Amino acid sequence: MKIELSNWLIRKVRKKLPFLGVVIFGFMSQIVSAQEINVSGTVLDAATNEPLLGASVIVKGTKSGKITDFDGNFTLIASSIKSILIVSYVGYKTQEVEIGSKSTFTILLAPDMEALNEVVVVGFGTQKKQNLSGSVETVDMKKIEGRATANISQGLQGTVANLNITFSNGAPGGSANINIRGYTSINGGSPLILIDGVPSSESDLTRMNPDDVKSISVLKDASSAAIYGARAAFGVLLITTKTGTKNKITYSNAFIWGMPTITPDPITDPYIFSRLLDTATNNTPWDYVNYTDEQYRWARDRSNDPTVPNVRLDPQNPNRWQYMGSSNWNEYFFNKSAHSQNHNVSISGQKDMYSYYLSANHTLENGLNRLAEDSWTRDALRSRIQVKPYEWIKFENNTFITLSDRKLPTYGITNVYNLRPTDVVKNPDGTWANTDAGLAAARMLDGGKTDQNTTGIQTTNKMDLFLFDGDLKLTGEHTFKKEYFKNHWDGTKYNIGYGPNDIREITSDDYAYESLGENKYSVLNLYATYSKEINKHNFTAVIGYNKEKNEYEYFTANRDDLISPDLPNLALATGEQTVSWAYSDWALSGIFGRVNYIYNDRYIVEFNGRYDGSSRFPEDNRYGFFPSVSAAWIASKDLGEPITDVMNHLKFRVSRGALGNQSVSNYGYINTMSTGQSGYLIDGDFPKTVYAPGLGVDSNSYTWEKVVTTNFGVDIGLYNSKLNLSFDNYFRNTIGMLTQSQELPGVLGTSPPRSNAADLQTSGWEFTMAYNDSYSVGGSPLDFSSSITLSDSQTKITRFQNDGELFSQWREGASVGEIWGLENDGFFKSEEEIAVLDESAIVPWGALSIVPGWPKYVDQDGNGKIETGQTALDPKDLKLIGNSQPRYQIGFNMSIKWKGFDVSGFLQGIGKRDYYPTNYLFWGAYQQPYANMYPHLLDFYRGTADSGALMAQHSQSYIDAGLAEANTDPEYPVLQSWLADSNYGGGLVIPQTKYLLSAAYLRVKNVTVGYEIPKKLAEKMYLSQLRFYVTGENLYEWSEIKRHIDPEATGSRGYSYPFHRKLSFGMNVTF
Amino acid sequence: MKNIYTVFLCSLLIVSCNDDFLNTSPEDSISKENFFNSETDLQLYVNGLLSLPGYGLFLGDQGTDNTATTAAVEIKNMLVGSPSSENITGGWSWSRLRSINFFLENFEKAGIEQDSKDHFEGLAKYHRADFYYDKIKRYSDVPWYSGTLEVNDEELFKPRDPRKMVVDSIIKDIQYASTHIKENTAFGDINKWAALMLQARIALHEGTFRKYHPELQLESTANRFLEIARDAALEIVNSEEFEIHNTGNPNEDYAALFTTDNLSDISEAILVNVYDVDKEKTSGNSTVFGDYEQSPSKSLIESYLMVDGSRYQEQPNANTNTFVDEFQNRDPRLAQTLAYPGWIRAGSTTPYIQNLNKNFTGYHQTKGLNNTVESAGVDIAVYRYAEALLILAEAKAELGTLTQEDLDDTVNKLRLRVGIPNLNLSDANANIDPILASDYPNVTGANAGVILEIRRERRVEFAMESQRFDDLMRWYAGKKVEEIPTGMYFPSLGKYDMTGDGIEDISIIASGEDVPSPKEQNLLGIDLIYYKAGSIGDAGASLFLSDGTSGVMVTSTTQRNFVEPKYYYRPIPSHQVLLNPNLTQIMGW
Repeated sequence: MKIELSNWLIRKVRKKLPFLGVVIFGFMSQIVSAQEINVSGTVLDAATNEPLLGASVIVKGTKSGKITDFDGNFTLIASSIKSILIVSYVGYKTQEVEIGSKSTFTILLAPDMEALNEVVVVGFGTQKKQNLSGSVETVDMKKIEGRATANISQGLQGTVANLNITFSNGAPGGSANINIRGYTSINGGSPLILIDGVPSSESDLTRMNPDDVKSISVLKDASSAAIYGARAAFGVLLITTKTGTKNKITYSNAFIWGMPTITPDPITDPYIFSRLLDTATNNTPWDYVNYTDEQYRWARDRSNDPTVPNVRLDPQNPNRWQYMGSSNWNEYFFNKSAHSQNHNVSISGQKDMYSYYLSANHTLENGLNRLAEDSWTRDALRSRIQVKPYEWIKFENNTFITLSDRKLPTYGITNVYNLRPTDVVKNPDGTWANTDAGLAAARMLDGGKTDQNTTGIQTTNKMDLFLFDGDLKLTGEHTFKKEYFKNHWDGTKYNIGYGPNDIREITSDDYAYESLGENKYSVLNLYATYSKEINKHNFTAVIGYNKEKNEYEYFTANRDDLISPDLPNLALATGEQTVSWAYSDWALSGIFGRVNYIYNDRYIVEFNGRYDGSSRFPEDNRYGFFPSVSAAWIASKDLGEPITDVMNHLKFRVSRGALGNQSVSNYGYINTMSTGQSGYLIDGDFPKTVYAPGLGVDSNSYTWEKVVTTNFGVDIGLYNSKLNLSFDNYFRNTIGMLTQSQELPGVLGTSPPRSNAADLQTSGWEFTMAYNDSYSVGGSPLDFSSSITLSDSQTKITRFQNDGELFSQWREGASVGEIWGLENDGFFKSEEEIAVLDESAIVPWGALSIVPGWPKYVDQDGNGKIETGQTALDPKDLKLIGNSQPRYQIGFNMSIKWKGFDVSGFLQGIGKRDYYPTNYLFWGAYQQPYANMYPHLLDFYRGTADSGALMAQHSQSYIDAGLAEANTDPEYPVLQSWLADSNYGGGLVIPQTKYLLSAAYLRVKNVTVGYEIPKKLAEKMYLSQLRFYVTGENLYEWSEIKRHIDPEATGSRGYSYPFHRKLSFGMNVTF
Repeated sequence: MKNIYTVFLCSLLIVSCNDDFLNTSPEDSISKENFFNSETDLQLYVNGLLSLPGYGLFLGDQGTDNTATTAAVEIKNMLVGSPSSENITGGWSWSRLRSINFFLENFEKAGIEQDSKDHFEGLAKYHRADFYYDKIKRYSDVPWYSGTLEVNDEELFKPRDPRKMVVDSIIKDIQYASTHIKENTAFGDINKWAALMLQARIALHEGTFRKYHPELQLESTANRFLEIARDAALEIVNSEEFEIHNTGNPNEDYAALFTTDNLSDISEAILVNVYDVDKEKTSGNSTVFGDYEQSPSKSLIESYLMVDGSRYQEQPNANTNTFVDEFQNRDPRLAQTLAYPGWIRAGSTTPYIQNLNKNFTGYHQTKGLNNTVESAGVDIAVYRYAEALLILAEAKAELGTLTQEDLDDTVNKLRLRVGIPNLNLSDANANIDPILASDYPNVTGANAGVILEIRRERRVEFAMESQRFDDLMRWYAGKKVEEIPTGMYFPSLGKYDMTGDGIEDISIIASGEDVPSPKEQNLLGIDLIYYKAGSIGDAGASLFLSDGTSGVMVTSTTQRNFVEPKYYYRPIPSHQVLLNPNLTQIMGW
């Protein structure tokens, strides 16, 4: 009977109400009429005077109410003039209006600064922010919109405390590394990223149109993430895309100019460079660099007078060119104004039972290679269509198609960092010079191209059933995703001019390569949500089932000897050919549930649980149960007036839960025999081989890593929530990490099997402070908002069997990122000093001589010898000198809006991090005499001044730099190649206190200035909104290591594609 | 609507009951249960066990008296540094043994003919003998494992097994291999003859090692191994499958073994590591020839006889000969091993002028160099028939059973190829070379003279073929590597002919002097190449001479110290001793 009534109502309501009917469905199940007063009115946004569609208007004390229509209008029937209308709308302050004698109303709803009623997307559902008991934070999309970021991950950097976004380089189309709350597991582990409920990768984020994003939630603790079980151990990033709302068409674009942020810029003076390289090898057994007097003369002439030609015919061999350049190759190879652009169009609308959102994006990012094509293009289409034929059923299709295409030369651009200044790129006859720089340029332009194509198609079909007056919702959704990764690369012949009439074709790379990867992924979710409110008791329960399957297949084909370099493809090659095939798959399935209970809007308890199975574990240990519990108390509702006058909101949260981490290899428990090809020619061919299987895992105990997180949080709203503070403290124990349970003697002949043998704990905190206010300036409101996010985490190994405390392994009690090193004690000044302290154990290759000017170290164990111990029990002369993990991550954002103007700025940084440099880009010729020298290294130890004869050879620049003088109180040791050879590991490669750098930085990530033309003017152009903006990215940074490398490029020791500084212009139009 | 609800629940039940869903398997690799069934399976697996020396074979004399090196060669680092179990850590790798033992534990189940099974078992045992003999050479006593180890095996923590026991096991393996591996296998793969060669090589090494190393106290057991070596070598000789490559060209036949990319037609090569440019397998021509890290020593050059069979150091002026002179009338193997005056580098039309470099000897190696302008490879003879002959001669000489006939069948076949007079047993024993005698003072007895001459023959025949280091070690001649290799001799500053045409090519001036501008030209109108001579360490010098302005080229002056008997062995890496304290160090390590 009740159902019939409902159906009748649904039919009736559906005709009048465009949408959201179901939200108030419960309220409308009874209509009682007595004295009937017809009331009508309009609900408007108090700030903009725009009509609010879908606001609810209820007669207090009854269930009688209406939802405003498209123009914000409502009509209803009240029972008495004393009735009070309750007008509410999500995101606005609820207002109560007495009917009195009026029958038409204009009700202005003020936006709710508290935003506590904000609905937050959580796992398999939504929750009011105020009812959250776990640690969930939403990204303020205003911080990202209008910034012209081509990649949503870029926009996210620094917006949420402890959401740590890093990029390994600045290559076009690069994807972010995303982390929540610091170091996860020795086996790695990253947050689960869900786009509209579908597990996605970091590169999916790169390929999606940032304009499609409606909201982003970050689930940090176990309780919020537990419903995702297997893959959510290290947090969840929930991204929801836009759905069809009121009819509008938007277009936005951006035109961007980029240049490198920081490149390692070496010494370019040819004389200084040559002399230092020569000097560096003189006191080594490998004296490879010996320039002749003649070469020095030319270098000096070029240094003194740069107009002296940098190419000439070799006097010894007039058929060959000879070179003496003075170039900074970063300037030659990197573009200072790489132009990029992007365009977005979206159409959304909503009528009767349909709503739709369609968007298209085209992005072209040009990289920094000045010579050759180096680009990334993205075309993304999204279509989201919802159909609600009846109140009890809703269908949705969400389809997403992306094409991305990365084009670049096969020869990598980071090779230019090692090009010497004395190289020249072109010969006088226009051919490429016979130098590394000439070869690099020739290879970039003529030596082969790479083209990486990705095509992704993803479609989700979803059905919701609303039963029992909407108390029960059943959802079924199935997603199918197919991605193709097609890579082509080739190497082609190119020409190098050895001499005026000696142009040679270089054929060392002459091949075409194709690969095609296909990824098939499907996920099915079936879940039911039941919610019921009885008096002060509010229950919500979710139960569901999930299964996922992923299959990956990969073909490659390679063939040498192209017929023509202009047609570098497999069909037109004639030489050796190789093909390969690879396959891997995994599957997951689980049953999950959540029960949430709220008493009197102030006490919240929630249980989450998931029973998960993964194909990555042996059958007996495949399933795991992962429960979590959380509770919160909204204390402000229990506190008295004097406090709540200032502190209008106070909430305490606590949660604890265990999750599983399955980020281990797909078949780790199956000991298979790998195949390969022998390197020996047997009967003319390389035979196939099969190898012994490794010990793999200890299958008796191999199972899930467990991640147990405990979280304490407090949220505070002050001054009517103008100032909001939030603080969380957490302990995340990663238990049973898969690792070699112990180091075993080498006679085992293979890596020991892995078992769940190690634990670690990451503990940390995060703090967010946001201040929002509005002032009246010049008669117009000035909106001000700012926020600071601060976070920190530290990780300790809490279990690892390493009784000997070997440095080669993790150690119990050790912090992740520890840097053990020597304590610098100045330099040896004399042979006598050298004789007193035996440093022979740290001599690189056991072959360099220890001479005055060598670094001297503190003999910690006092045995007269400097040695690097192998264990923490006996570290010999090593001690703990730093830590390479980032600490104190900071984000600071501020924005001001006034009239049509908006200005915003955003800083991001790391407060503390140590970095010990070991490579050419810092050590130059101290590493090996094959790359560059850097200005900071000029302050090296020189025992005596140069002789008169040598002085006569020097260029003025060399003398002016003081390099001919003695320098016994320097920053750097005696110039000796291989002293910092990272291929060996002795000498300067052993971390030490003097050259330990701070990798802390604070970067101006973004500054945006925008102007929106007045509405009236826009309307004359038939537009509803028109905004222009200018934005700058990565404008400046404070950092110690920026003298050497970009502070965000420490992961690759500076050998990364440069990060970009960008300046963009763009506009947003809404029709 | 109720139906939909039912469908929903049912589908939930159906999908959750699907057990197979979580069973996945890698489709691009294979499990041992599906393998080791056929002959092909066994062949595929043993292919992966093969380990042959590559062109590094021609670089392997570094650190011996044959070659100066600037590389961080282990023995050199030991001689000049303070070696310990913490910095001498190479060589303790056991993964190859595990692969071999895994095969031996699983191959039996293949359903194939017994003789095929035995063949494959033989191959695996060949590799195990090869693996373990390398271990013996470094550590003397090592733990012996005949099967793969599991994590909980107590065997992981066992102490060293005695050398006697391990070598007996090795001999058992290699004897099984040489009696069961087939005679004819694919070109490039191990066959019966290769197994016999390894057997002879190991046995000769062990026999002489025990005989000359008193610290082992195993002298009395030496002869058994010398007999095994003799018999294995004899079996190869008696098979008449191989012969010394001799086409009657004494100035080319020897070189042909090291400079060609096709050894398949040369029957002296018993096992070949094949190189083929078309298959993109090329060898490092420039590392062999260029001044990369190694250069041949003067001491090696002096050890070659004159072409008339007389000793070089007994010639007048032997100590003051310049480069051109010392190459005159020598054993033709010298000019087929090193670049000689007048040698022409491919791509050039004029003779190569030796490039003189600091820390190098000035001599250049051509053995292993395929002298072409294109990228090239040389096939590498892993075992040569010549070695079988010299093993036979040495084993018999050490056993005291050597006859002139034996010499004619072995050493003299090598001498015949290069056209130098035969070695005569009684002459050799009567007229002992005093230099050889001082090199190897522990060689005594009636056959001392001929033993020394056989040692010279080995040094010359196998120069730059990675034999010298092992030879010196087994002969207890570690003191020889204390010699710092020197280079060419220059009696004074001045101009020198380097190509043998009598026309000067280089000019050596003092390090303080300026190179004249323009440079002086020689009679051919070509600029002289200038070098500034000085003592080692002189920053202005481009050439280091022993007396600054005269003498031999100096490669180093750091004193070298070979501690006997300690340096005949290596320490077990300290890290491994920490992991297994039962592994104790021996011989003072």
